[in-house]
Amino acid sequence: MLSETCSAPVHSAAASPPPEAVLTVVHVEKSFGDNHVLRDFSLVLHRGENVVVLGKSGSGKSVLIKCIIGLLLPDAGRITVLGQDVATLSHAALDQLRTKVGFLFQSNALYDSMTVRENLLFPLRRHWLAHSPAEEDQLVRQALEDVGLAHTAGLLPAELSGGMRKRIALARTLILRPDIILYDEPTTGLDPVTAREIDHLIREVQRKYGTSALIISHDLNCVRLTADRVALLVDGRCYAEGTYEQLRDRPDPVSHEFFA
Amino acid sequence: MSQRTTHNYVRLGLFVAVGLGCLVVTLYMLGQQQRLFNRSILVQADFRNVSGLLAGNNVRLGGIAVGNVRTIEIRNDSTVRVTMRLNQEVRAFVHQNTLATIGTDGLVGNTIINLNTQPGPALPIGSGDVLPTSTPASFETMLGPLAASSTNLVAITHDLRQMTQRLNGSQPLWQLLDDRQLAGRVRRSLGNVEAATGRLSTASRDVQLLAQGVRQGHGAAGYLLTNKALGGQLDHAARQLAGTSDTLAATLAGLRHQLQGAGALNTLLADTAFSRQLRQSMHSVELGTAGFSRSMEALQHNFLLRGYLRRQQRRQQRAQVAHQP
Amino acid sequence: MPHPTILASTGALTHFAGRFFREVVRPRYEVQEWLYQCYVVGYQSLPLVGSTAFIMGLVLTLRLRPTMVQFGAESWIPTMVGLTIIREMGPIITALMVAGKVSSNIGAELGSMRVTEQIDSMEVSGTNPFKYLVVTRVLATTLMLPVLTIVADAISLYASYLGVNMQGVTTLALFSHNILGRLNFSDITAAVVKTFCFGFAIGLIGCYKGYYADKGTEGVGQAANSAVVVSSLAVFILDLLAVQVCLVLGIA
Ligand SMILES: Nc1ncnc2c1ncn2[C@@H]1O[C@H](COP(=O)(O)OP(=O)(O)OP(=O)(O)O)[C@@H](O)[C@H]1O
Ligand SMILES: [Mg+2]
Repeated sequence: MLSETCSAPVHSAAASPPPEAVLTVVHVEKSFGDNHVLRDFSLVLHRGENVVVLGKSGSGKSVLIKCIIGLLLPDAGRITVLGQDVATLSHAALDQLRTKVGFLFQSNALYDSMTVRENLLFPLRRHWLAHSPAEEDQLVRQALEDVGLAHTAGLLPAELSGGMRKRIALARTLILRPDIILYDEPTTGLDPVTAREIDHLIREVQRKYGTSALIISHDLNCVRLTADRVALLVDGRCYAEGTYEQLRDRPDPVSHEFFA
Repeated sequence: MSQRTTHNYVRLGLFVAVGLGCLVVTLYMLGQQQRLFNRSILVQADFRNVSGLLAGNNVRLGGIAVGNVRTIEIRNDSTVRVTMRLNQEVRAFVHQNTLATIGTDGLVGNTIINLNTQPGPALPIGSGDVLPTSTPASFETMLGPLAASSTNLVAITHDLRQMTQRLNGSQPLWQLLDDRQLAGRVRRSLGNVEAATGRLSTASRDVQLLAQGVRQGHGAAGYLLTNKALGGQLDHAARQLAGTSDTLAATLAGLRHQLQGAGALNTLLADTAFSRQLRQSMHSVELGTAGFSRSMEALQHNFLLRGYLRRQQRRQQRAQVAHQP
Repeated sequence: MPHPTILASTGALTHFAGRFFREVVRPRYEVQEWLYQCYVVGYQSLPLVGSTAFIMGLVLTLRLRPTMVQFGAESWIPTMVGLTIIREMGPIITALMVAGKVSSNIGAELGSMRVTEQIDSMEVSGTNPFKYLVVTRVLATTLMLPVLTIVADAISLYASYLGVNMQGVTTLALFSHNILGRLNFSDITAAVVKTFCFGFAIGLIGCYKGYYADKGTEGVGQAANSAVVVSSLAVFILDLLAVQVCLVLGIA
């Protein structure tokens, strides 16, 4: 599954027939005034694959992921998710699409006026998926067990530690059983032990539910543990792409900086 | 959101119910008061002057609100037609000869229409009937008689004074009076009359000025508010008048008694035109002061001055109490 | 908009209001959240608004009394206080208290939701945050302020009744009769319509300030602060407009 695809300019050697692409980012540009954050970025995510986007702080990783989910509109280029062009979708269709895409915010973005349970139920309620209270309980318990925090259902986010919040946020993302999950720096600001737990969690989710994931990180441990494939985001472009080892062993100074 | 319990929704419901309940009750009571929900009849009345009546003002019968003014329109240069809505229930009490007058409701109150039932048989009112009206009795009309009587008084006292002076200067009269004592008393009485008439005339002039001032001012309340001295002036004039008219009355009574008693003088005077004139004058002074007192009294009972005069009285009482050890 | 002028922000606010009206009629109604906001805005403001109204009614009566006695118009106190409260003081005091309490609350809440990406998170989880947060809150303030005002009026009038009875004797029947005798339907309808507008302005401005809060905690504080200031100002401006409109329409 570790193949180099056409979207990456560096490695392009198609060995096996390409698996189904669930997310494609083609020549996307995005700038805020004079700040050209993304210039011609391209990336493909295949089904069941974990791709890590590695980049310096402020290089536009969060902007990229927000463009994918439709929170920001790219200035140019095309983004398709599950075969649908995000930019051309109607509000309702976009909402529908978003039920299949999970998003883990860098800041967790837990609703702090709601308990953990209500936080987890929020995406469910929004989608009018008819659930009986018993089903809801079941879903919440399952999601909390997945992240190992079954006892926190009645707590408010303010009563949780940073790592717990991240895991609750992950649980909230998982509860909809999305096809694709976008993780924005899932391990930043956590101690190494908790970070590793999160990394394993990400792997486990991939294995258990067969989801594809786009992971944004600059934590090398995270990259090593979770990535099937890594893309380097430098100067708003996809500078290099390949497996963790491939990129680590690249001789050029730019790549080397990341893995030093 | 953990507080999103049914309990709280019940509270919210109660709160809204109370609020809307207050509103509905108020609106209903207002409707009752304005008789909007009752059946009503429309009657009309033509006035020369409606003194600032507005649509919606009250119509009262015997002091009770029985309806309100619907429309006011000018019919021609001397007639304003007022259409009022009367409560159906009072129909039995309002007859076709019931008099409609424009009045006011309190110090700064709205203009209202008063319905005054008249004696004599008449049919009950029906929708569209036109009621007879009379000119308004306002503060201004109350001032009318007062001003007139004070003018009369000035003229009369002037006459009286002239006559007493002539009487005093008439040598033959005094010579005729053989009774020295009587002559002295008559002289003194005449002197008193002169002094009293003098005071009376200044007092009545005061009142005249006052009446004028009120008329030129912006109505009664306006004048009271702009001229703080008015109350004092009015009170002073009233007291002066009360005092002088009393002394004058007493003196005149004494004089007449003396004149009637004095045989020679009486016969002398009885036949002359001069004496008739004197008697006439004295009579008119009596009438004039009586009329004046009545006007003054009416004025004193006017709500405007009532409070003021009462306060004045209280102050005097307090002063008296303070003087007593 | 680095330095939005008054005109620009008025335009933006108008645009925001337009979006509100567009979203409010479209289905997927957030009834639960709306009810909860009604509870927060209406019921939870009641102690504050009620005590203010009580004090206002009492103080107004006691302060008015000496002057009225001087004019010998003691019996006019209920009428004057009643009309003042129902026409003007009740709506404006309630609106200002709600602006202070609720508008700042909304501004801070939405502001912090904005800067901590909770609003984005809602959008991502398929909820229209404008509907869920703004429409419900604006609707709640719009509908609850009239109710609050009516309750506040009632409390205020009762306080005034107590105030009248502190130095004299009046029956409740005479007191209410005095007020009702001078009250018109238009007084009440004008006051109620006015409070709808006040409530709308308070909710809208609070939401606008919070919804477009700048990044950072400072932005949250600023949102809360300017929500109070601007919505209080808006209440006064609307009140002035209401007076003018009433004059033009010939009401009162
Ligand atoms: N809404 C916005 N308005 C203006 N500029 C923005 C906005 N969002 C991001 N930027 C700019 O885009 C650039 C990239 O921001 P982004 O958040 O994507 O960085 P990042 O790669 O996620 O960094 P980090 O690893 O620290 O999270 C930054 O320079 C930032 O100033
Ligand atoms: Mg970021």
